[in-house]
Amino acid sequence: MSLSLRSVTYRYAGSSRRVLRSLDLSIERGEVLGVVGANDAGKSTLCLVAAGLAPTTIGGRLDGEVAIDGAPSAGARPHELAQRCGVLFQNPVTQLSGTTATVWEEIAFGPRNLGLALEAIVERVAWALSLLNIDVLAPRDPARLSGGQAQLVALASVLALRPAYLVLDEPTSQLDPQGTQLAGEAFARLTRSGEVGILLVEHKTDLLERLADRVAVLAEGELVAVGPAAGVLADERLEAWGVDPPARVRLARAAERAGVQLPVSAA
Amino acid sequence: MSETGGVPEIVPEFVLPPPTGAYRRLNPTTKLLIALAEALIAFGVRGWSGPVVVLAIVLASGARAGVGARLVPFLLATIPLVASILLVNTFLYPGATDRIFVLGPLAPTWTGLVFAGQATLRVIAFAMSAAVLGLTTGPDELVADLERRGMGRRTAFVLSATVRSVPRVLERVREITEAQRARGLDTEGRIWRRVRGLVPLAGPLLFGALTDVEEQTMALEARGFSAPARRAVIRTFPDSTPQRALRLLLAAGTPLVLLVSVIGMLGFLP
Amino acid sequence: MTSLATESLVFVYPDGTRALDGVSLQIGGGEAVGIIGQNGSGKSTLIRHFNGLLRATEGRVLLDGQNVNERHVAELARIVAVTFQNPDRQIFAGRIGSEVAFGPRNLGVRGTDLEQRVEEALKAVDLGPRGAANPYDLGFSQRKLLALASVIAMETPVVILDEPTTGQDARGLERVRSIVRRLVGAGRTVVVTSHDMRFVAETMERVVVLRDGQVILDGPPEEVFAADRWPLLGTTHVEAPWAAQEGARLGLGSTPTEASLFTALQAWGGQV
Repeated sequence: MSLSLRSVTYRYAGSSRRVLRSLDLSIERGEVLGVVGANDAGKSTLCLVAAGLAPTTIGGRLDGEVAIDGAPSAGARPHELAQRCGVLFQNPVTQLSGTTATVWEEIAFGPRNLGLALEAIVERVAWALSLLNIDVLAPRDPARLSGGQAQLVALASVLALRPAYLVLDEPTSQLDPQGTQLAGEAFARLTRSGEVGILLVEHKTDLLERLADRVAVLAEGELVAVGPAAGVLADERLEAWGVDPPARVRLARAAERAGVQLPVSAA
Repeated sequence: MSETGGVPEIVPEFVLPPPTGAYRRLNPTTKLLIALAEALIAFGVRGWSGPVVVLAIVLASGARAGVGARLVPFLLATIPLVASILLVNTFLYPGATDRIFVLGPLAPTWTGLVFAGQATLRVIAFAMSAAVLGLTTGPDELVADLERRGMGRRTAFVLSATVRSVPRVLERVREITEAQRARGLDTEGRIWRRVRGLVPLAGPLLFGALTDVEEQTMALEARGFSAPARRAVIRTFPDSTPQRALRLLLAAGTPLVLLVSVIGMLGFLP
Repeated sequence: MTSLATESLVFVYPDGTRALDGVSLQIGGGEAVGIIGQNGSGKSTLIRHFNGLLRATEGRVLLDGQNVNERHVAELARIVAVTFQNPDRQIFAGRIGSEVAFGPRNLGVRGTDLEQRVEEALKAVDLGPRGAANPYDLGFSQRKLLALASVIAMETPVVILDEPTTGQDARGLERVRSIVRRLVGAGRTVVVTSHDMRFVAETMERVVVLRDGQVILDGPPEEVFAADRWPLLGTTHVEAPWAAQEGARLGLGSTPTEASLFTALQAWGGQV
């Protein structure tokens, strides 16, 4: 069971530039795949393609194949894709529907769209709230949440569609330290639950070191490295690809350069 | 449709705090129709009777709903418009000759004053009517009820998102103004400089709206918005036979009153 | 060189929120000061006082000892330039070059002087050859750099950057860092708000920590991020940069920057 991209090349509508080039990548159910790369490497585009929003919703040209648990995404309708792979963007505000008076109703928005019976909707909202440990937010007005809280509500809203896979595009980049902390804890709960396969795009390699099973590196639309997180995050070429290695790796390198043996606790 | 409205027991109770007070408990669609009828009659019936009757009804229903004091800011908001209506019509009513007095170039007329007084009442009646609706009916309530009555999902969504986006747009205007002023744009100086400053203010506003729409479209699709399914109803609002009768009366009666007024059959009224 | 100061500054929003609650700060000409604290701690409210976008409810704001209160924002913009978090709230021109020219033009700069400023500012953010392109052909992080350039080109003695690091990758961060250093080197007073503690520790000479509208810590990075301050930092959800944490764990003292950590490592290695 996996979300797989096979020799995927993608161009945005009205552009001939290949933003993704012959990409082969797969995410297993229950696994966290971290994705790193410089800012123009195509990470956000990868998110849209993996979730099926590109080309289904935003157009553009896709060569190759994206398939979720064996079912090709090409030709599937947006609401079908939404139940296979959820997606969370950077900006917490634009992701909320802006039409509901309480967080509870906001999370119910997706399941309602699917035409579920009220009992099923109630059950799903409760599940998403408790999975992220945000039950206390349920009665709040979505327009009056902090950035971190809004991002978690957006995540719960997507989870309520019960997708088997989830794409998170730099979900903490616009949050303050408290929001990042809050979201980090929720992601950790989510990954531990093993309920979904997650593609997590993130600059903060320290966060990936904690959460990711494998890490992939994108450079100019190409996959230049993929493998177990510890190995890829210690790759010598990471900085040349525009990525800061995690603190632990930087420290180890500095110690090596200084000719110092680090105490075991730091290694 | 229940007489009391509400939320099924399995939904947490905070989803719909029960409205209090007789007027607030009216069905949202009833309140919308009342506001529409009031606006049409205030502007459509000639002479004093239209605006005076509407204003009396609006103030009474506002008092009944317990929002009397909160109407004051809305009343104050009409001052600039009302002042200009009074000045322009009293002093510059075209063709009027019944001068009140003449002072240099100033020559207010009785015709102008009467017209200005009526127009002022119409504006105030309309503003108060809209305010009573806004203060007693949440936009999400109204949309939820209209959607249940069969209004298209997209229409309902656009309507409700528009209403709810107002504070966000205002916030954005503030941010843009701050950013441009911080780069030396003069918004406090002479008029012509302020006018010239509109482009740097409008540009980011438009672009921001466009990118928002794009992002929001993707986010909505990611939540199954375009699924063809029928949505479960979460909130229902109280409705009753008298209310249904009232709505029918308003829907049929208002155009009739307007028609009668336009062809001049209400000439006996002041 | 221009100094900034606030004296018992209090600011209360119309809704009653007391966003600043008695802030007294002296920022010398040519200083580089980082302001940190979680959202709602008062950072944005504070910086909006330096160019008059907000006016003190109580207390005073001084530029070179002069009260800013009676002066127009457009006039203060000659002294204090501010770039805000979201570049899309300011970008309006169809060409990158015109966007950068907007600020200096408002200050009355024209002709070759203007051209030169635009060119230099674009070069500083690595957008040199793209002056004729449309700003919205740039990605978000580049649009942020463009907003930065549009403020650099105003060549004001005080430069205030609100969250310049959001959305930047490793290269972008290095770019912002070198711009701040260059501005400070040229005698400008630079105030930066940021959630990126590593950036703050490595770029700023002084760190001011706000919580609920009050200054709870103020000093050089090695003081503010020293281990005995962590409990206090924690009360506003700030975590010391990783170099400080590693340094403390290894018993190397306060090493808020990677460079200081590596130096300490070397010295320590020498002792073994």
